[in-house]
Amino acid sequence: MNSLLIAAAHIKGPHIDWASLSPVVVLAVGALVALLVGLLRGAVARQQVVPALSLVTLLAAGALEIWRFGHPATIIHGALRIDDLALLIDLICTVSAFAAVLLAWRSEAPRDAGHGEFHGLLLFSVMGMAILASSQDVITLFVGLELLSIPLYILCAAEYRREGSLESGLKYLIIGSVGSATLVYGLAMIYGASGQTGFAGIAHAVATHNLLGDPLLLGGIALVVVGFAFKASVAPFHQWTPDVYEGAPTPITAFMATATKAAALAIFLRFFDVALIADKTTWSPMIAALAAITIVVGNVGALGQTSLKRLLGFSGVAQAGYMLSGVVVATHLGVSATVLYLWAYLGMNVAAFAVVHANQLETGTDRISALQGLGKRSPALAWSLTVAMLALAGIPGTIGFIGKFQLIHALVSGNHSWLAIVLVVGAMISLGYYLKVVAAIWMSPAGSASEISGVPVPAGAAAGLAPIAGGAPEADRLPYPEVVFVAVVFAALCIIFGILPQPLFHLASHAGSALRGLL
Amino acid sequence: MSPTTWGWLVLLFPLLGTVTIGVGYKRWTRAAGVIGTGAIALSFVSAVGALLSLLSRPEHGRELVSSLWNYASSAGVDAKLQILVDPVSVFMILVVTGVSTLIHLYSTSYMKSDEGYARYFAYLNFFVLSMLVLVLGGNFVMLIVGWAFVGAASYLLISFWYRRNTATGAGIKAFVINVLGDVGLVLGTFFIFRHTHTVSYLGSFRAAPHVFHTDSTDLVAGCLLFLVGAFAKSAQLPLHTWLADAMEGPTPVSSLIHAATMVTAGVYLIVRLHPLFQLAPTAGEVGAIIGCATLLVAGTIALVVTDLKRVIAYSTMSQIGYMILGASAGAYSAALFHLMTHAFFKALLFMAAGSIIGAMAGDQSLDRMSGFRKALPFTFACFIVGGLALSGIPPFSGWLSKDAIIAYLNNRGGIYEVLGILGYVGALLTGLYTFRMIFRAFWGEPSPEARELEHGHLAHAHTPRNPVTGEEEDNQVGFPGPEHVIAEREWPMKVAMGTLAVLAVVGGALQIPGVDHVIQNFLSPALANAPLASAAHEPSSGAAWAGLIVGAVIGLIGISIAHRIYVARPGTATRLQQSFPAVHGFLMHKWYFDELIDLLVVRPALTLGTFALGVLDRIVVTGGVTGGVTSVVRSGGAGVRRAQTGLLRYYAAALILGLSLVVLYFLISST
Repeated sequence: MNSLLIAAAHIKGPHIDWASLSPVVVLAVGALVALLVGLLRGAVARQQVVPALSLVTLLAAGALEIWRFGHPATIIHGALRIDDLALLIDLICTVSAFAAVLLAWRSEAPRDAGHGEFHGLLLFSVMGMAILASSQDVITLFVGLELLSIPLYILCAAEYRREGSLESGLKYLIIGSVGSATLVYGLAMIYGASGQTGFAGIAHAVATHNLLGDPLLLGGIALVVVGFAFKASVAPFHQWTPDVYEGAPTPITAFMATATKAAALAIFLRFFDVALIADKTTWSPMIAALAAITIVVGNVGALGQTSLKRLLGFSGVAQAGYMLSGVVVATHLGVSATVLYLWAYLGMNVAAFAVVHANQLETGTDRISALQGLGKRSPALAWSLTVAMLALAGIPGTIGFIGKFQLIHALVSGNHSWLAIVLVVGAMISLGYYLKVVAAIWMSPAGSASEISGVPVPAGAAAGLAPIAGGAPEADRLPYPEVVFVAVVFAALCIIFGILPQPLFHLASHAGSALRGLL
Repeated sequence: MSPTTWGWLVLLFPLLGTVTIGVGYKRWTRAAGVIGTGAIALSFVSAVGALLSLLSRPEHGRELVSSLWNYASSAGVDAKLQILVDPVSVFMILVVTGVSTLIHLYSTSYMKSDEGYARYFAYLNFFVLSMLVLVLGGNFVMLIVGWAFVGAASYLLISFWYRRNTATGAGIKAFVINVLGDVGLVLGTFFIFRHTHTVSYLGSFRAAPHVFHTDSTDLVAGCLLFLVGAFAKSAQLPLHTWLADAMEGPTPVSSLIHAATMVTAGVYLIVRLHPLFQLAPTAGEVGAIIGCATLLVAGTIALVVTDLKRVIAYSTMSQIGYMILGASAGAYSAALFHLMTHAFFKALLFMAAGSIIGAMAGDQSLDRMSGFRKALPFTFACFIVGGLALSGIPPFSGWLSKDAIIAYLNNRGGIYEVLGILGYVGALLTGLYTFRMIFRAFWGEPSPEARELEHGHLAHAHTPRNPVTGEEEDNQVGFPGPEHVIAEREWPMKVAMGTLAVLAVVGGALQIPGVDHVIQNFLSPALANAPLASAAHEPSSGAAWAGLIVGAVIGLIGISIAHRIYVARPGTATRLQQSFPAVHGFLMHKWYFDELIDLLVVRPALTLGTFALGVLDRIVVTGGVTGGVTSVVRSGGAGVRRAQTGLLRYYAAALILGLSLVVLYFLISST
């Protein structure tokens, strides 16, 4: 034992700033503990203690992230940079995972996959995101990306008894592997051209060795763009998104939609605005074109969808296009606008997916038509989804409006007004499907009993459901309080920050100034 | 508490009132009136609190700004939820909340049998909230919000009886013209913001002398656009036509919105923005000339209109003409003084008119009213007080306030002296039309309704009818309720009218030349930097008193002419009509303003619209653009969905295709 300690003391490692690394450490420890506790025999231990443990872990990680805010540091020999941008993204992923744990509390997925594994993988994925968002070196970048992706492949297939879930996991695995392969190939080419793995080293090599037109470097950039575009579901590399979102267990979809997107956009921002900033004139038009295509394809594809999760999947594609704007302009304002929008996106999507989940638990389907009568059945859920949809569409008074406003501001002051116009047109098209959902919630189906006779009928009958024993307290109480809680809280945040946006502006501008090489 | 805390409280109570009544409109029946009135009364108390708290501060510290939060300070706009508490805004909130409280009280009786009782009070509270936002707002954004909100509230209340076609039409007309004013206001703000780079009042006022020279083009353009807003809201030529139609709303609404408060917003706007208007004397002259023209035109129309409420409406336009004239010329404190006294006596006249209309079972025509002197003694007394104050007869309040404006104009000289003399012509008309109304309604043979009432029985219409068109109605929601009320039998109406009558008599005592200058002294900290409001421009006491005497004599002449025509020699009016049919017709058609607007604006717009509908809309838009766009979007959606086969091999193919394109782009750009 003693000799072991002595041996350990002689390992020559780089200096580690444990304080800055603490969020990642806490996530790793939490994941391992969750895995181990999941091995216990008792049902209580598995079904209650494990989720509780992961909640505690996420709370601790969130607290540490907030604690480190405003203390930028480059740690472990330049492998990671823990700055305000990284911490804000980490916090998004943590909050999203927190919501996912609550949503999954009594759903099928953790029971099928095993509670320990489910929560352990979720926490590992969050850890991967934290590493990805703060990576400062192509090696850590790739490690982070894989650490976030592999648990998600498994989590998508968590309900392995259901065909859709399995298919979703497998599809994600195959397409995701292609994406990873593309990315690692691109990174290799960039390394080949610059001889560096650190972002700062690459930037320095590009600037000093006149690599701006180097085919090897540019080929590498092209492959990296595609690799990132996969993770952020940017068209035309988005096609896995609706399929996977639809098949995956809804809590996982909610997590994937928000957290993965945040991490992918964070690395988009960091890699292009730090390592490749000198080559901006070359990649900026390409990313702008991708953003425009994504906005159009996402919004147009969402029209005519009948499954809410698919609809939200396409809407997520479109929103990724909006958020790429911040990458395109490569300014402080652009970075802060993207981060602001990511926060907005978190609130809107978690609220929406929570309602989808609740409705799915109740009706067994995520069809839009299953929402009919939700306004009468559960006003809290109905209002939450309404707010989420209006916010996604960017109606003033909601956080979505603030987010879009800031993106447009960034685009216009970054001389990309044409993309701002595309964004607005996309938002116009998006009303076509968001409002359809709102209509489904509040309007009773045409020709229903209540409309014909003018006599109020029980809410259940009006919604076309089998009438339940009229007004029994068991039937009336909220069946899944934690899901409703998540929906209401996030919807409320969408409104609150839509009216009081100043704190978000403030935080986002911190993230914007974290990348020092920008204008 | 600081004045700004009181200021926020002033806003809070009407907000709570309108939300409470609006949310529980099914539950509150009679309680809606109590809640509504109570909310506004509390708001008035807070306004008094703001006044006292402001007075306890030194004179140079009486401009206080308070922001609850920043909505957005991005892209160069500093939009905040901000109030400015200074003497001008405190003066306005006192008038608004004070008069509103009394009118809410009056309404609890007047509207008691109406099916939409709770809805009425929710709207009325919302109106007061909007008006308070307008006058308390600390920046142009808040001003625009309040400005638009009062327009909406006015629309809701004019069209309150929404099953009456005339009422909904009038509401739409008022709203459209008011939106024209909103556009002016927004564009004007933009002109100022472009140079000052701030939307806050104090910031703009501080920056204005540095960025604008006197009469610089953008400033004059901005101020003229503000005037468009002011003219639309305050019913000045040529945007005045909505006000007479707005009398379709319930009488207390006419009293509150279309006499005492909302329509005076234009005057407030000019006084609030006086640092800008002082730098743009041209805009000031335009405002003064339009104000003067309005006061004459409206006065002549009021001579011939036979609908009781519309006579008072034209009189309101005319009186606001005085205020706009005064405010544009620089007589800020006199204009606000007249605004206050006018609010008292005009609200009183409308309330009294409501009582007569109640006695006439809803009929508003002067042709059918006569001899109500004995039947409605209290209403008669109130009407006389209001009428004397309106005509400017000593010692009533209108006498002191109106002549303060004219005295200032005569003292300023130049074109303003001419406008001041025309103001005396307006005063003659005022006495004439006011007492024409009074003599016709209260003197002469009692009408059947008056006779019935003298025997203690209130007239009741057999079938309720629209007073304008005579269409039959019922008493359900969307039409007036079945019961009619008179002030003599309702204590809330009596209290409201009595209070206003007292104020209409004594309100003028606040500012008597050579005796006291309460209002001028109170407002002076806010007007400290205005050269036009300095002592040099104020008329001397002697000149002011000379003006007062001339004004009183002219008012009396007007009344005596009215007495000659309508009491001493009945039938003169008919003879005059027959000998000057052209003049009568011209005035009956309200100077053909409606027809002129119809010819110049509505018809061309309609023709254009019909053309656009037939050609542009049906063929180009629906067929080409919309049809094209929707079909493109739709087929695009179908395409995307078709590409979404769910088969991995196609996804991989798409991937390779996309990847090749991206790589191709980068390789091409490398050369």
